[in-house]
Amino acid sequence: MNVKKFFNPRNILILFGVGIALVIPLIFKAGQYTMLLMTTVLLYAILASAWNIIGGMAGQLDLAAAAYLGLGAFTTGTLLIRWNITPWVGMIIGGLVATLLAMLIGFPLFGFKVKELWYALSSSALVVVMQSLFMMWNEVGGPTEKYLPVGTSPWYSLRFNDYMPYYYIMLIILVVVLLVNRWIRYSKLGYSLLALGEDEDAVEVLGVNSQSSKLKALAIYSFICGVVGGIFASIYGYVHPAFFDTSMSMEIAILGIVGGMGFIYGPALAAIVMVSFREVLRASLGSQLAGLYLAVYAIILIVVALYQPRGIAPLVERGIKKAQTYFVELTRGRRADIKSS
Amino acid sequence: MFETATQGIITGILMGAIYALIALGLSIVFGIMNVTNFAHGDFVMLSMYLSFAVGSALAWDAVATPLITAPLMFLFGIITYYLLIDRTLRQMYVVQLAVTVGLQILMRSAALIIWQAQPRALQYSFIQGNIQIGDFQILTSRLFSAVVSLIFIAGMAYFMNKTWAGRAMRAASDDLGAASLMGVNYHKTYALTFAIGSSITALAGGLVMSFQQTDPVGGIRFGLLSWAVLALAGLGSLPGLIVAGIIVGVVESLTVSFFDPRSRLLGVYAIFILVLWLRPRGLFGRR
Amino acid sequence: MDAEPILKVADVTKKFGNLVAVNRASLEVNRGEIVGLIGPNGAGKTTLFNAISGLYRPEEGTVFFKGMNITNWLPHKICKLGMSRTFQVTRAFTHMTVEDTVRVGAYNRFNEKNVQDKVDQVIKVCELVDIRKRVCEDLGLASLRKVELARALATEPEMLLLDEAGAGLNATELATFMDLIKKLNQESQITFCVVEHVMQMVMGLCQRIVVLDSGEIIAAGTPNEISNNARVIEAYLGKRAVHARNQ
Repeated sequence: MNVKKFFNPRNILILFGVGIALVIPLIFKAGQYTMLLMTTVLLYAILASAWNIIGGMAGQLDLAAAAYLGLGAFTTGTLLIRWNITPWVGMIIGGLVATLLAMLIGFPLFGFKVKELWYALSSSALVVVMQSLFMMWNEVGGPTEKYLPVGTSPWYSLRFNDYMPYYYIMLIILVVVLLVNRWIRYSKLGYSLLALGEDEDAVEVLGVNSQSSKLKALAIYSFICGVVGGIFASIYGYVHPAFFDTSMSMEIAILGIVGGMGFIYGPALAAIVMVSFREVLRASLGSQLAGLYLAVYAIILIVVALYQPRGIAPLVERGIKKAQTYFVELTRGRRADIKSS
Repeated sequence: MFETATQGIITGILMGAIYALIALGLSIVFGIMNVTNFAHGDFVMLSMYLSFAVGSALAWDAVATPLITAPLMFLFGIITYYLLIDRTLRQMYVVQLAVTVGLQILMRSAALIIWQAQPRALQYSFIQGNIQIGDFQILTSRLFSAVVSLIFIAGMAYFMNKTWAGRAMRAASDDLGAASLMGVNYHKTYALTFAIGSSITALAGGLVMSFQQTDPVGGIRFGLLSWAVLALAGLGSLPGLIVAGIIVGVVESLTVSFFDPRSRLLGVYAIFILVLWLRPRGLFGRR
Repeated sequence: MDAEPILKVADVTKKFGNLVAVNRASLEVNRGEIVGLIGPNGAGKTTLFNAISGLYRPEEGTVFFKGMNITNWLPHKICKLGMSRTFQVTRAFTHMTVEDTVRVGAYNRFNEKNVQDKVDQVIKVCELVDIRKRVCEDLGLASLRKVELARALATEPEMLLLDEAGAGLNATELATFMDLIKKLNQESQITFCVVEHVMQMVMGLCQRIVVLDSGEIIAAGTPNEISNNARVIEAYLGKRAVHARNQ
């Protein structure tokens, strides 16, 4: 890789952000509640970044994030509860199970060219269906929480007394997911997906198999959701059908849209800004009126979607460009000053 | 077995007529304006809460509340249209999704703030009781609601075909650009369309409140059900809408009586997916 | 040159409900030719193109390409075999740059290592060097037509279907575009089949012309023969024009 090319302003900002995320818990000695919130923020950032692959790049408005997340959670949880299989293995299997479900749904849907609204609706319905299924399946799910055992070694059963380890695990996954995004974006798959999101017929006559490209995107996305679901179960210490949450799935999609469809860091940025904001609102308003924080949050989402329809990433890009020209002029001016003196 | 099935089918048909009414509001908005309102189910939820508020404040029967809630929802529709929907018409499709889902979250949290999380129901209804036909029971309130729904859908068909406003709405659906050239101000027509769509949910909400309770997340179910009805019916056919509503209602009711009440949406989802695969234009759709 | 035609369409019929858009159309295109497909609006030209390139499934008939029966093949497989196309209304990837658009096509035959060379080459041939970093939604029609041609060209086709590539271009733009097609035809031995309304382009470019009217092929021949064919004039101008000419 070209070193100079890698250290462009955008990547420096991203590295800076990751650096801050690394040290924040150590500097501030944050309390457990704050650590949980920051872990949640990272969770949303990961899911929104994963959504970027199917939604932002391939233009498929998937609203099933929580279906895959929940499936990953239940797989991981059940493996640990029944057979004492470590979540480290469980989350991978969970990811694979989620991918399997996604392929079962996606293969016919993409084959019949179900898209846009109808794809969005069928994926949204999938979450509801999964919830009903796991509500009825008493051995694994059911209306009461199934608790994950703590076991002897916290690293084996992935059950810690504080949230710090989860936070760092999530941070590592976020970085990996961003790298995967970047790798896809600048590969054959990425170019195909971007073009396919714009015009499916036009891209097919250029030799792109749209069905298999979309399936690949869906597979990667659902795998990430499933893996994260495994950690999700470990963090909360139980599994419950409420994990199949339609609102959460929609929120993920909105964060992807508001972040800037197709921009690698956009959805993660949107998630970090918006979800932090939401949690701050919840902490300050939640005690007075249940639901008020969500109302304010929703209004802000709507305003951003209406007035910045391409998302916030293009705004950031413009800012970076401005700063860049400003600095170039500044250094040039300084050089001119030196010459003249 | 046979009796359970017949009872299920009867209940399903009655519910189906109401589902058709709920889907009618969505069908008008989606068919004429090509606006995807993901919050449609939550319009029903809000209507039900309004019915609850009006019904408990004035000690009115649930089925009478639309006299007040329908104008309120009409107003709500106009405000929503000018504040949000109008600005998304010429935007990318995803913006509409983001905005209407934002609206959904907003409405849900508003309901949570005003009415709290516990379910609400109205107590009195003059149409209590059952009608007994042979071995089968028909809930009077449901029968009443189904009949009102069907009459209203028929009235809507008349309105769309025979009145100037209805024709203007249909003209606007054919071509946004052409209609505005021919002197139809599409902003006003669309606002009217959206407001009518939302006041239909007020009627439906009042009817449903006569035999059901409401809670802040109840909108999801109505949203999915009405999209399933619409997918099945296709666009542009009101009789198709009724048949589709009844199919969805019967399937839902049979899944409940033969499997598990918690599985009520599974059967509906199954038809929905099948329709998407096999008949993307719906069973009765013209386009 | 192969004796066998590179493209052979035999009795293709495509219906939409009761409307027969293409009715038992047959045509052959030989390797290295530029064939024009003309006809009045609604004659079924684009429908026939869609049936050939795999976007529609014809109800009847067969399409042979390079001797293979490609009827009902998926579009991307047909492209892999060596045929690509452009669209009547330009269907650019609006938010992608010119270079990225071309790259989508170039991946058809090239992998990550050598795809950039192909992109550079096509961009140079199609004279898109100045605008390679521009986003498609900022481009004018003439540039968009070139971008569409470029991305199809990047798939390294043996045959290209151009759907009204000259529509909406002014005289200079049209001349440049025709020169480019001629150059591609001679230097890269690409066979062309063009649907065209602009007569200047058809007459100046094509060696052979096929005329489609109401879904049926009514004439075929050299530009000269076609311009004197009574049925063609009738289809285009109506019966009275033929009368006037005969008197």
